[in-house]
Amino acid sequence: MLSRTANGLFWMSRYVERMENVARLLDAGRRMENLPQPPGAKATEWRSIVIASGCKTTFPAPLDQASRDNVPQHLVFDADNPSSLRQCARSARENARAMRTALTSEVWDAVNQTWAEMRRRGPDDTLGGRDLSEFIDWVKSRGALIRGHIDATLLRDEGHAFIEMGKWIERADATARILDVKYHVLLPSSSDVGGGLDYLQWLQVLRAANSATAYRHLYRRTIDPEGVVDLLVRNARSPRSLAAGARGVCNALESIGAHTNAQRAAHARAKALCTKLRADAVEQVIADGLHEWLTDFIYEINDLADQIGVAYGFDGQEVRLSEAAQ
Amino acid sequence: MFDEMYDGAKSRKEYKIIEDWVAREGIEALLTKRDEAESLFRRIGITFAVYGEGGDPDRLIPFDMIPRVFGPAEWDKIERGSIQRADALNAFLRDIYSDREIIRAGKVPEAMILNNEAYEPVVQGYTPPLGIYSHVVGVDLVRVSEDELYVLEDNCRTPSGVSYVLQNREVMSRMFPELFQSNMIRPVDGYGDMLAEAMQAAAPPMCEGEPTLALLTPGHFNSAYFEHSFLADQMGIELVEGGDLFVKDNRVYMRTTQGPERVDVLYRRIDDAFLDPKAFRPDSMLGVPGIIDAMKAGGVTIVNAPGAGVADDKAIYTYVPDMIRFYLGEEPILPNVPTWRCAEDEDYKYVMAHLPELVVKEVHGSGGYGMLIGPAATKEEIQTYAKRIEADPDGFIAQPTLALSTAPVLTEHGLAPRHVDLRPFVISGKTTRLIPSGLTRVAMREGSLVVNSSQGGGVKDTWVLNAEVN
Repeated sequence: MLSRTANGLFWMSRYVERMENVARLLDAGRRMENLPQPPGAKATEWRSIVIASGCKTTFPAPLDQASRDNVPQHLVFDADNPSSLRQCARSARENARAMRTALTSEVWDAVNQTWAEMRRRGPDDTLGGRDLSEFIDWVKSRGALIRGHIDATLLRDEGHAFIEMGKWIERADATARILDVKYHVLLPSSSDVGGGLDYLQWLQVLRAANSATAYRHLYRRTIDPEGVVDLLVRNARSPRSLAAGARGVCNALESIGAHTNAQRAAHARAKALCTKLRADAVEQVIADGLHEWLTDFIYEINDLADQIGVAYGFDGQEVRLSEAAQ
Repeated sequence: MFDEMYDGAKSRKEYKIIEDWVAREGIEALLTKRDEAESLFRRIGITFAVYGEGGDPDRLIPFDMIPRVFGPAEWDKIERGSIQRADALNAFLRDIYSDREIIRAGKVPEAMILNNEAYEPVVQGYTPPLGIYSHVVGVDLVRVSEDELYVLEDNCRTPSGVSYVLQNREVMSRMFPELFQSNMIRPVDGYGDMLAEAMQAAAPPMCEGEPTLALLTPGHFNSAYFEHSFLADQMGIELVEGGDLFVKDNRVYMRTTQGPERVDVLYRRIDDAFLDPKAFRPDSMLGVPGIIDAMKAGGVTIVNAPGAGVADDKAIYTYVPDMIRFYLGEEPILPNVPTWRCAEDEDYKYVMAHLPELVVKEVHGSGGYGMLIGPAATKEEIQTYAKRIEADPDGFIAQPTLALSTAPVLTEHGLAPRHVDLRPFVISGKTTRLIPSGLTRVAMREGSLVVNSSQGGGVKDTWVLNAEVN
């Protein structure tokens, strides 16, 4: 397959997944905002959403002024923000359009229609109280529709594997960021750790990752940081966990195959990431600092994505067959 | 004025099917179905190509539902005439880029070639496989009476529009399957295979085994991208952009996830000037550096070959009948429109004296722009245009105003005649052939003679019947 095609499918898939994940982050912000605050405490949940969505540099106001009034606007509509829902839908569609011959008409229609409907929307009919939650549901359902058509109509060839890989990388990145939201939301005082508000915030994190019910089903105990981290980091049974993401990337790479030393090196690194996720003990991760661990992970998964891109010629350079490969 | 459907009040025999069909359906019902066809077309169009992304409505060419019909004898003449023309044009290109016998024989002035912008000196001395430069030739035809057809112009570079031929048929056969159950209408499905076969036959000398084919597009922002992706799909070959290709040791490769993959025959849908920044425009980002050298070394075949445009401009056009006699020893089956070359004194005088009754065109113009239609022009327009001719006589040719044939289109007030032309697509490989159809363009405005899509022209499904109707 042409490297450019593989690159386009990979990024189409990442933008579709990112669109859904940014919607989930917005949902987390919306939920946390409604939690009761002690009198005089400063609300920080919207600030944390900006940081977690990776939009710190594009956010147009000082971070401590992040609020319900400006964050949803930035995450849904701003053209300067490449991760805004609007830009995600647009980029997914531009990539799909350029790779049209590698897609079925079902997948193309779903991606194209998502952009067509997205571009018709404006702040007035989207960002208001009830409108926002309905809009978030709509975005999530569009993501599901596109994934469903990919699953039901695309040939299981290299193109499909690059789409899968894009999805898993983006989702692992997003889950790590959602977990990190909790770090950035400040508790009113350190004595509140383990308290009622702490619990409620962890619950919202689970909800944003669509995993609250799964938590109860799997752990059968009240929500605590160890359980949440275990579920979203290590537990490969959760489709949103980092472990599931890393495994998905490895599976996709395996079906694509490695033809060069650079590709083999990228495969090895992906496998090492899978192993690390199995090996790191949750207690240790929390004791050493969850935020630092997540920061390392986000760096690692994105650097791995870059390395894979170079190995398969996404940068416009030819994939060089090493002597060993010929 | 010749109408292709009606001879007075009764329809010509080829159009019997159409007449019965229109009577059966009724104009009202057809008008309703027109909207349906429009949305089906739009959907397929969008699905393939994504026209109509708001703000650019001229991208979706209007589709008229009333098919245009040719009987077997009519088509036979068009087919033989178009093939003859394509063969002569390729013989001319072969000659021009090698020994130039036609110049030495005094049939075509040398300056016509050397001063021609489309002539590519870098191609001089290069003979492509099978000696074919223009593998796809579009021959634009107009009809003026029952048995008089003229060639209006030739397109030897990268003629476009064939995707409409195939899609118009697709839409018609989905909307009105009963029309095709008569088993009288020759199918058009073979185009992709025909072109792929011709490309395979053009494999370059350095190619071993089955040649790998690809289609080179300027990219998805190009207005014809839809046709490029559609054709690549039809042939089952990769659709590549310049950045996907590179040249090494005079071979062309695609960048794939599994390493470089060789390309032997490249159907390019970008202009010569952008093809190779090393040979032509150095600022081109669309092309492939070194591909011209690779072509000349026999590492790749470019379809159509660079420099093929020298055979299709409006000044060379006037010599095509001579080419047919010179190379093929035959008389032209399809004549040229009588043409005055303003470059020649006698002709210049005649043209200047008869402007109100002539059509004057720029030699290098295209798309129906920059022409003077004498009978439709005001006195001032004629005077202004005369000054332009005076300033640069070499830049203009003139032709009589032809009474172009009409074919019926569907309007709110029933069927109404509109002017049409026809572009068959001739493919040259081991043999020269064409699918039994062509692109019919139709002037959608009453009385208009301009059928170009850039100026509001529409398209029609074009039928060739497999047996005479009695």
